[in-house]
Amino acid sequence: MVQQTATGENVALSPQAPLISEDWLAVGTGLVIFLLALCLLAGVDLLGWATAPRTWVEIGKSVRQASPGYGNYGSFTLLLATYGFVLALLSIGAALLGVGIVRFVLGFSVIYWLSYLAWVLGNYAYIAVTTPADMQRLAIGWSLRLTGESGYLIALLLGLAIANFAPPLARWLSEAARPELYIKTAIVILGGFLAVKAAEQLSLASTVMVRGLAAIVEAYLIYWAVVYFVARKWFGFSREWAAPLASGISICGVSAAIATAGAIRARPLVPIMVSSLVVLFAMVELLILPFLARSFLADQPLVAAAWMGLAVKTDGAAVASGAVTEALLYGDAAARGIKWSPGWVVGTTTTIKVFIDIFIGVWSFILAYIWTRHIEPRRAGDELRFGEIWERFPKFVLGFLATFLLVLGIGLASSPAVLKTVDGAMAQANIFRQLFFLFTFFSIGLMSDVRQLWQEGIGKLAAVYVVSLFGFVIWVGLLISWLFFYDIMPPLAG
Amino acid sequence: MTEPNERARIGEELAKMQAEPLLPIEKKLLAWSLIAGLVLLAILIWTGNSALTPPH
Repeated sequence: MVQQTATGENVALSPQAPLISEDWLAVGTGLVIFLLALCLLAGVDLLGWATAPRTWVEIGKSVRQASPGYGNYGSFTLLLATYGFVLALLSIGAALLGVGIVRFVLGFSVIYWLSYLAWVLGNYAYIAVTTPADMQRLAIGWSLRLTGESGYLIALLLGLAIANFAPPLARWLSEAARPELYIKTAIVILGGFLAVKAAEQLSLASTVMVRGLAAIVEAYLIYWAVVYFVARKWFGFSREWAAPLASGISICGVSAAIATAGAIRARPLVPIMVSSLVVLFAMVELLILPFLARSFLADQPLVAAAWMGLAVKTDGAAVASGAVTEALLYGDAAARGIKWSPGWVVGTTTTIKVFIDIFIGVWSFILAYIWTRHIEPRRAGDELRFGEIWERFPKFVLGFLATFLLVLGIGLASSPAVLKTVDGAMAQANIFRQLFFLFTFFSIGLMSDVRQLWQEGIGKLAAVYVVSLFGFVIWVGLLISWLFFYDIMPPLAG
Repeated sequence: MTEPNERARIGEELAKMQAEPLLPIEKKLLAWSLIAGLVLLAILIWTGNSALTPPH
């Protein structure tokens, strides 16, 4: 049995205690895939069988494997191999988490194949093709120009439909619907992919990192104070509710709400309720903001990227928004004859989100200090420890840094030929990164039961969220993104 | 664990919540946070983002 918190964190109620946290599990899972891919450097192609969709008109030609060397096995066999590998990896993880393994395997299998179906549909030529040249090549007269990344949105909508029209099925799938685990695994893998880009454009990558750090410090200092004030003064929330709410709305959703609630010793239910709202609104943002960016920031892709990182809550939805934004902006640019190097928009969004995750620990420590010293002094022996910063530190960030720094080091120290091989290895790992993105989208949709939230009487919380998010957070995020990322462009491809 | 009826009680609690006045330490936290954010922003803009100049 599992209690779904709508936070991306499932509270396992199985007989076994977890042997590992979701954070560390994400690090382990991501590193396994990353290291297997990196074996390509030694001439050993261990992940070349991984199968992903390509733009298609005939369904029989809708998928292909990463390496031509595995072409003899046939698409169906390789599809099953990809599924089997991911299932085995995550089943080991589920066992370590102490969740019911049979229900996880069944639930994850449904999530896997529905997500994969969404991915294939998103790559249908009439949906995905962006350039006149590709339209001509595939002999089609029109296209929605949404790129293959539209599969993420289809996965989200599928999950959302199940959550709201088939709640019993959503509850049955809840054991395997773990968006935080999936997105953190994806981010660990993404580290290596981004490092290849950084090695090719070190100066630009440094600029993005420094500006991203400045932007999140700015955003956190301004956002949090205003949202806390609005919740306390305008809506009359108590401190116990206002602090997690301010952290949840203002910056990084679920993780921040949980960390803040822990810091001020709020009841466990408080961050759970806040997180339910965060997931719901993150989904709304995910469906709206990338398309707003497409309309108003078509020529400023990195402003749009930073905006997604600062405005969209939860790691999953934010990085996913970056991916959708990149797809939309790159697709439109390609139609104008501009081809930017891939990965820079989603990379900038991820960088900002990772910095925010790091900053949450520091901010929680400051709040814990203020609460324990001035608001609710603790009993003797229950003192605040600096070790709490480490306890709250998001461990998956270490995985991201490890893959990023390792590939960056290899890229900077080696020849262009070796860098090309690393690029190929990371492209293989990237297939799994995209799969984990899909699971994230699907799971976020699956957790957004609008009716249930409304029945729980959280309209007042939602009112604070609407006022703060749409009246302030989104626009200040846009302003800060504009100030720090205006006219910084991704390099051209090739 | 959070049972559904417990979540329903939270809805009632939210509806009946009594306002707590802002303590001086809360006002100080808000003020320092905003001042630090705005001053830092001004410094970064004033210096023309010189340390952050993008490559062209």
